[in-house]
Amino acid sequence: MWRAMLTVSALELRTRLRDGTAIVIAVIVPVTLATLFGLALGGDDPPLRATVGFVDLDHGEFPASVRREVLASEELKGAVTLRDLPGEEQARRALDAGEIGSAIVFPAGFSQSVGAGRGGDVAVLTSPESPLAGVVAGAVVDRISAVVDARTLAVHAVLLAGVPGERVKELVERNGAAGPALTLAEDPLSGGKVDLSVYYGSGMAALFAFFVVGASFRGLLTERKLGTLDRIRAGPVAAWVPVAGKGVVGFGLGVVSVCVCWASSTLIFGTTWGDPVAVFAVLVAHVLAAAAITMLVASRVRTDAQADGVIMVVSFVAAFFGGSLVPLYDLPEPLRAVALLTPNGWTSTALTELAGAGAAGSVGAVAGPIGVLCAIALAAGGTAVAGFRKGLLL
Amino acid sequence: MTATLACEGLRKRYGDVTAVEDVGFSIAPGQAYGLLGPNGAGKTTTISMLVGLLRPDAGTVLVGGTDLAADPRRAKARIGYVPQEIALYPELTGRENLRFFGRLFGLARRGLAGRIEEVLDLIGLSDRADGRLDTYSGGMRRRINIGAALLHRPDVLILDEPTVGVDPQSRKAILDGLELLVGDGMSLLYTSHYMEEVERVCDRVAIIDHGRIIAEGTRRELIAMVGSADKIELVLDGDVEAAYAKLRTVEGVIEAARTGAESVRLIAEGGRYLLPALISAVEGSATVTATQVIEPDLEATFLHLTGTSLRD
Ligand SMILES: Nc1ncnc2c1ncn2[C@@H]1O[C@H](COP(=O)(O)OP(=O)(O)O)[C@@H](O)[C@H]1O
Ligand SMILES: [Mg+2]
Repeated sequence: MWRAMLTVSALELRTRLRDGTAIVIAVIVPVTLATLFGLALGGDDPPLRATVGFVDLDHGEFPASVRREVLASEELKGAVTLRDLPGEEQARRALDAGEIGSAIVFPAGFSQSVGAGRGGDVAVLTSPESPLAGVVAGAVVDRISAVVDARTLAVHAVLLAGVPGERVKELVERNGAAGPALTLAEDPLSGGKVDLSVYYGSGMAALFAFFVVGASFRGLLTERKLGTLDRIRAGPVAAWVPVAGKGVVGFGLGVVSVCVCWASSTLIFGTTWGDPVAVFAVLVAHVLAAAAITMLVASRVRTDAQADGVIMVVSFVAAFFGGSLVPLYDLPEPLRAVALLTPNGWTSTALTELAGAGAAGSVGAVAGPIGVLCAIALAAGGTAVAGFRKGLLL
Repeated sequence: MTATLACEGLRKRYGDVTAVEDVGFSIAPGQAYGLLGPNGAGKTTTISMLVGLLRPDAGTVLVGGTDLAADPRRAKARIGYVPQEIALYPELTGRENLRFFGRLFGLARRGLAGRIEEVLDLIGLSDRADGRLDTYSGGMRRRINIGAALLHRPDVLILDEPTVGVDPQSRKAILDGLELLVGDGMSLLYTSHYMEEVERVCDRVAIIDHGRIIAEGTRRELIAMVGSADKIELVLDGDVEAAYAKLRTVEGVIEAARTGAESVRLIAEGGRYLLPALISAVEGSATVTATQVIEPDLEATFLHLTGTSLRD
């Protein structure tokens, strides 16, 4: 049965990497963070603008999706402009002339090489005169390399699906070590309001967890529409296989997404969220709760379009009342009580506490909120399983 | 001998709607069994209960003697289910789709690639195996939809209207392929609202209407239910009135009717053999310029039993 589940998971992972949701997690989140804080910390200065050169020698899906995501991002509108340039040489000249603040160069054959599981390298050109543009380009590339690593691994995993545990580990290490690395040594936006940056960073993480993890459960409904879910269920596999196979991937990507938020907040702004073990425990508990809640949604709606709508509403309601969008202390008193009903409220409380405590924080200090998050997960998950039994599963 | 697939007393209701009521039949090894009925008759609902997608309100399903409700995984391993709609991943290639379902259904890795080649060959898609499914024609999709159900070498293949919306050439390829499988000893449950397909493929047929099986038997048995009389259409030239009077008296003619100025319809036993007698009977009054003998078929049986035509 584990092999059947692994088969479902491998396909789900591949689908998620293919349809770009992984790129959204990996690119949009940190870029949004970078811009948001660039604006927030810029205070009364004129709004920050950055022109980023874009050299696409590859003409493949990677640069296309990066461009699409950057253009589609509301947050980046007006702040970041992409300028197409024919080659690296021209980009360098434009950079020297101050026409652009930084540039991203996709070499020819990049997408193909990544698709074949061989990895790839993106170059970034920066100039000390335009730190924001450098941060934006750096953040984009940083995230691309994460996607490249993930995809390289996924390609191998899919090729060899059913590989024994030790082989997967070896693959992770090899690909992780060989992946394109990028360090943002200069950190022009660091310092400033640590609390606020942790606050928004964790709020973003809490919100995104819902979307990322929800996309996998939504996938169950897409498969129901396709008829493939029925085909799987008519086969000699246990009833939990399709749900668990997708759920595991959604959960894994959810954990990746919250950690990306955490890492970019830490790397870009040089802030600390507190004791790493405790922060990780809180984030994992949050993703678990978000997974259970979105699974509950998927077990109660009929179509994937309905799931999209309901997950969207649930995510934003939980984010708003849970203090992921507006600081809890800005909300009127009665609403603050509502925060206790959302996983976001408990996550936000726990993370604020850990950031405040600094090195003194520990898992023990946030055991309460973690316990509540697990209880939410258990309640929502249990209700969801009951729903699946009635509807989706025999 | 244990039936490959047997069901008894199956019932499914949706609120006030009775989708299936007291459906039962048994399919022997190597037998091709047809479930014939118009749209909404309950074919898909019946199949859904047979393959474990829908829990029946009442009744049992035995697959090779294994109770589906008691040991679903063992029972399902013997069934190949071909859904009514194409149920595969459009963004994957044909081969990737087969590999996914092969693995999922527990085929050993060692033999999987070879088995996929065999199936591709059987459904005639070897040369297009590495194209994405969304580039396939309708007929190719239908074929791979069947192929995905064959990977694990099931004892019985259950097909829900596998030729809906398929061009005649692909339809022929599909029916030929199914006959090959049956020839190799596989059992078949074939549902359709196309009479001629069921007549061609199936040894035994059940007619289902409004959720109930209203007739069951071999093709010959079903046809015999409406009697063995044939319908004979004659077109005459000459004194039609006089010829008509003579025709009525011919031995074997049960009924006669004028259907036009020059045409007559007769109901008679052994129509084809009666033709010479009919032609000589009218000699002197008129000559027969055209004849048509319509022998009873499943369509006639269906009309007789349900009062409605199959294609609505
Ligand atoms: N999920 C459902 N809810 C309510 N009624 C249904 C449902 N599925 C099928 N029915 C009804 O059951 C009857 C049989 O449907 P179906 O088995 O799909 O027929 P067929 O496959 O022979 O065309 C129809 O009247 C249909 O409207
Ligand atoms: Mg149907």
